[in-house]
Amino acid sequence: MTDRTDPPNNASAQADDELLPCGRLLSRTWDDWERQTDDPHLRSCPHCRQAVHGLDDLESVVRGLREETDSSAAGYDTEPLTRRIMDVVRLELRPGRPLPLGEPAEDLWIMEAVAARALRAAAETVPGVRAGSCRLRDGGDGGGDDGTVEVRLDIHAPADAPLPELAARVRERVWEAADRELGMGVTAVDIRVTDLVPSSMPDDQEGGTA
Amino acid sequence: MTAQHSEDSAPYGNPAHATLAAEVATAVEGVPGVAFLRPGLTDRLRSVVSRPGAAPAGVRMTPPDGDGPWRVEIHVVALRRARTVDVARGVRDTVERRLDALAPTRPAPRVTVTVTGLV
Repeated sequence: MTDRTDPPNNASAQADDELLPCGRLLSRTWDDWERQTDDPHLRSCPHCRQAVHGLDDLESVVRGLREETDSSAAGYDTEPLTRRIMDVVRLELRPGRPLPLGEPAEDLWIMEAVAARALRAAAETVPGVRAGSCRLRDGGDGGGDDGTVEVRLDIHAPADAPLPELAARVRERVWEAADRELGMGVTAVDIRVTDLVPSSMPDDQEGGTA
Repeated sequence: MTAQHSEDSAPYGNPAHATLAAEVATAVEGVPGVAFLRPGLTDRLRSVVSRPGAAPAGVRMTPPDGDGPWRVEIHVVALRRARTVDVARGVRDTVERRLDALAPTRPAPRVTVTVTGLV
């Protein structure tokens, strides 16, 4: 997975290289395009143009994200751009199952892994809290399919924090994120404190567990 | 609902359906809060060689079986700054309007929208 994002001339990427119908390697086409090589073939060949079209689209999305990140003061949006892009790539490969968005009859869905990531991020806005496993189950009595979801979230809490209050704050953040950011009907948020961490520990480790 | 990616990219037998799907894809990409259609980043990094008649990424349209409605499945990656359900609703409404303008059908199409990523 990761080797697909390496530079095209990286040795580990060779096995994944692709021969275009015009006889050129995909890696060379991408490389020439990125270096803006003055090559008539690149401009005239439909296969090469098609090959760089995807990169063009990707670049426009990345540019949009960069502008959004620069202009936003919200902490939620300031994590490194690369991580946000890689999150999407990972989630496309292991998305989980679809969970309902909006009202029960709307036929709108969000993939489990995507929703879980957003809810974990919300939990980690409470100072000192590290989110772990986040499981989402169909809500309603008996786990029926009524368009709602139950959240079970494991967290690591600061050792000196009063746990009931801390859990209540985390629950509230998760609830807010589900409602305001996602628009997902949540019937219950169960918080389980699985570990206590020394509060003196610097809280500068990687956020957003995968 | 959880169609495999290879099915998403399956060619349409009828060129008119492929054109319709392409029109729908363009409309969806213009919906506020939509970053791009799935398959997005993963496929951009993996295989960009297009095949003739291939379905647009993230759009799957199934013609009516008898008198039933068209079934349209859309997979999108949305922007985080937008409320996800609002983006999904915008996509659904846009697809319904676009199809109604291009190819009105007696039973309205059934549109399913799945958000497969947030950026």
